[in-house]
Amino acid sequence: MSKDNEEKQNFMERPTTRREFLKKSVEGAAGAAVSFSVLSLFTDSAQAQGIKLADGIVITDPVKCTGCRRCETNCTAVNDDKAHPYISRIKVARNYNFAKIGPSINYQNGDGQFGDFTIVAETCRQCESPRCVNVCPMDAISADPKTGARVIDQDECVGCGRCVVACPYDVPTVDPEAEKSTKCTLCEGEPACAAGCPTGAIEFIPWKEVEMALVKRERLIENN
Amino acid sequence: MPKYKGWAGKILRVNLSTGNITTEDTEKYKEYIGGMGIGYKVMWDEVPADVGPFDEENKLIFAGGPLTGTGAPCTARTNITSLFPPNPENLVADSHMGGHFSPEMKYAGYDAIIIEGKASHPVWLRIEDDNVSLENASRLWGQGIFDTSADIAGMMGQEAQVAAIGQAGENQANLSTIMTNGNHSAGGHGGIMGAKKLKAIGIIGTGSVQYAADKEDWINLNEHVMSIIGANNQHVVPSTPQPWAEYHDSASRWTAQEGLYWGAADEEVETGVCPPEDTNKIGYRTMKAIKDLGSISEDYTVRMGGCQSCPVRCHSHLEVPELEEYGESRYVANTCMGFWNHYYVNPNYQTEKDGFLTKTLGAQLADNYGLWFNYGQLGRDLKYLYENNILRQVLPGEEYNDIPWDLYEKGDPAFLKDLYRRLAYQKGEISHLTDGAAKLADRWNLGEDYWNNSSVGLWSPMGYPVHHANESNAQVGSLINLIFNRDPMCHSHQNFLGSGLPIKLQKEIAAELWGSKDAIDVPANYTPMNKAKARFAKWSLVRNVLHDSMTVCNWMFPMATSPLKDRNYRGDTTIEAKYFSQATGMKVSEDELDEMGRRILTLHRALTVKQMGTVDMRNKHDQIVDWVYEMDPDKDPFEAGTIKMDREDMKKAKTMLYEELGWDSETGAPTAKTLDELGLSDVKKELASKKLLPSKA
Repeated sequence: MSKDNEEKQNFMERPTTRREFLKKSVEGAAGAAVSFSVLSLFTDSAQAQGIKLADGIVITDPVKCTGCRRCETNCTAVNDDKAHPYISRIKVARNYNFAKIGPSINYQNGDGQFGDFTIVAETCRQCESPRCVNVCPMDAISADPKTGARVIDQDECVGCGRCVVACPYDVPTVDPEAEKSTKCTLCEGEPACAAGCPTGAIEFIPWKEVEMALVKRERLIENN
Repeated sequence: MPKYKGWAGKILRVNLSTGNITTEDTEKYKEYIGGMGIGYKVMWDEVPADVGPFDEENKLIFAGGPLTGTGAPCTARTNITSLFPPNPENLVADSHMGGHFSPEMKYAGYDAIIIEGKASHPVWLRIEDDNVSLENASRLWGQGIFDTSADIAGMMGQEAQVAAIGQAGENQANLSTIMTNGNHSAGGHGGIMGAKKLKAIGIIGTGSVQYAADKEDWINLNEHVMSIIGANNQHVVPSTPQPWAEYHDSASRWTAQEGLYWGAADEEVETGVCPPEDTNKIGYRTMKAIKDLGSISEDYTVRMGGCQSCPVRCHSHLEVPELEEYGESRYVANTCMGFWNHYYVNPNYQTEKDGFLTKTLGAQLADNYGLWFNYGQLGRDLKYLYENNILRQVLPGEEYNDIPWDLYEKGDPAFLKDLYRRLAYQKGEISHLTDGAAKLADRWNLGEDYWNNSSVGLWSPMGYPVHHANESNAQVGSLINLIFNRDPMCHSHQNFLGSGLPIKLQKEIAAELWGSKDAIDVPANYTPMNKAKARFAKWSLVRNVLHDSMTVCNWMFPMATSPLKDRNYRGDTTIEAKYFSQATGMKVSEDELDEMGRRILTLHRALTVKQMGTVDMRNKHDQIVDWVYEMDPDKDPFEAGTIKMDREDMKKAKTMLYEELGWDSETGAPTAKTLDELGLSDVKKELASKKLLPSKA
């Protein structure tokens, strides 16, 4: 297992714990100096590579999201010419019924349709130093010259799935039909998921506003 | 079926008696489209006429269609077909649920799942793409639907979509549901799963649904639909005056307005002004909670929700802390009758708050037990039987005295806790309330006074209540309510009639669609039957059947009207044919697709003829209870202010509808000629061998 994979496997790196981590840092911010960038908790910026930053990222509002999943099929209609939620770059279905950790004994008070109705969709963070880029053995993932989105060159990708394992947010997905990995392309700056959301719950947030948008979102999820 | 797209291409067949799990090509069913069409074809081919609903030989078909899972708006309905236990003769019928189940089935690679046989012990069906297995459900048996769904998701992965029964289905209550996503239920078929000892189906699908159209054409068609879509039930004007709107109608479900909030959301969410062109606000248009639960509900509304792919969010999701005092979760979601059913069961509540708690507590309990209420009928039955002292006569004394009637009389929501437990576990004589009205009337010898009573609300001798029938455009709604073997669940006509547009404009559009403005009347100011009404009724039925086959939501389609002034409020009735063509690659016109709908409707009719063993549909099947003709004794039919129908006029109406559908004008049975025309020659042959073709045809 590569170093990156080991890191991915480390439970402390998983988003659930990341959330806990943030909560502590936000709660502690008044009394103690926070010695790290909060942004680094949400987007992987630990190993800056000099790769062009993305223009922004797609973020969902867990309060406005009603779980219709139009974003998933709009995503694959535009990018793949089919309806294929499993490979959608915005992930709603997997957290739709139950919280991200799966149904707990107390599922009725957790996130999701069987819980408190909070739908926590997940999206690509277009990390500053993306692990998907770093681990790709084919060097198939790079910054799109126009938007800076971390995009997978479909001609180069061999579908090995290392980016899938490396991503702390479980966003890239190997298309079982094309046998190639897929991830958010930002749709050339006009994400189809956001354009088609019937409650305006999906926004394309410019990079300089990403940090506060994510902090606010995590608070909403936490406070639920 | 590599030649066509849209369909997944395979049907899964699971025999619970033998444990055999096989797949077959969907191609055989393509002329029947999917959903309801596949269901009827399987029932016709494979289930003999004398089988009972809980027999091993009965089958249960879960089906989507070529649109299911494509992401086209409002295409996540699941159609379930089987013999229908609440029907007095167990005639075939469909139940339907929204949610996310049938799209997942398509993504796993299946257009339909045919369940046959009967397991020897409780099982659940596990489907992960090509990996399909029957699993032991002994630990799940006896659990409610919520825990069952959670346990299965725990075993499969939280992304699993689950359809399950609760205790009511396990105990083979005729009025029981199959439920998915916690609040989407299909009524009437839960007991069939119970009899087969099938607790649940869990699905994870990682594949795609492909469509034949060019990417641009597909996206353009989706955008076109998003531009003409209205609010729930395709209501196209707002309920209050809005800056963008020329018209408004207080009955509209387009309730969004300034100052109306999702009041229990974690941040401020105002429904606000939602002009038609702002497609990023479609999901706020229908703030349904205030319609179903009154203005008190605003402060309890977390958000709206609903089915996969649908931008119109018609299910109210509420946080009601008071439910915890009754031992239930505070989070409850449903829509329409999912809440109103409980108002009928507990009608004596004293305060607005108790009314609200009655509906929300009732929904929570019923959705977990998997109880069905036959469109509010169960509660109206209870009220009639209690108030007329019939329960005191038919229930054993000890049982009668054990039921907390004091709570019922006070309208205390806690009454539901007691009653629903008895019903779900089928405890005591009272549990026969779930037999369905016709079977209940038979068991307890309920006579004329019960049947011919507009406040009891029964509409058909088959035991279903008034539901967009004579109150919905006289003969049109009435005809639609005659044809199926349960309440028709048809909204084709209702969506049009309830659009909210002024009657003059509605009449103009009616003339364009059905040949004359006389296709519709001013509400409760009816006119005698005419040809345009027959066309309107046929169109409504055919589209209803198409929608449940494709599958497309019949609460939103057909979109005969739109909210757009620049279209002069015209909708687009060609959408279904365009979607079918674009999805499958089979190019069909609007008329050709309607003919496919007529084929499916005619197959349904043939099934009814075969099961009843008579061609005399007119007199043996297509009947209405007397109050519909006898109500408002001081008024005549066609007088302003009554929805009373005229017997001779309805006879004529039946004849005209039969003729429109190509059925025998005397009996209402499909003719040999029509069966041949529709490619149903095998059906004709079988009916001929049973002497069930109308003689003059």
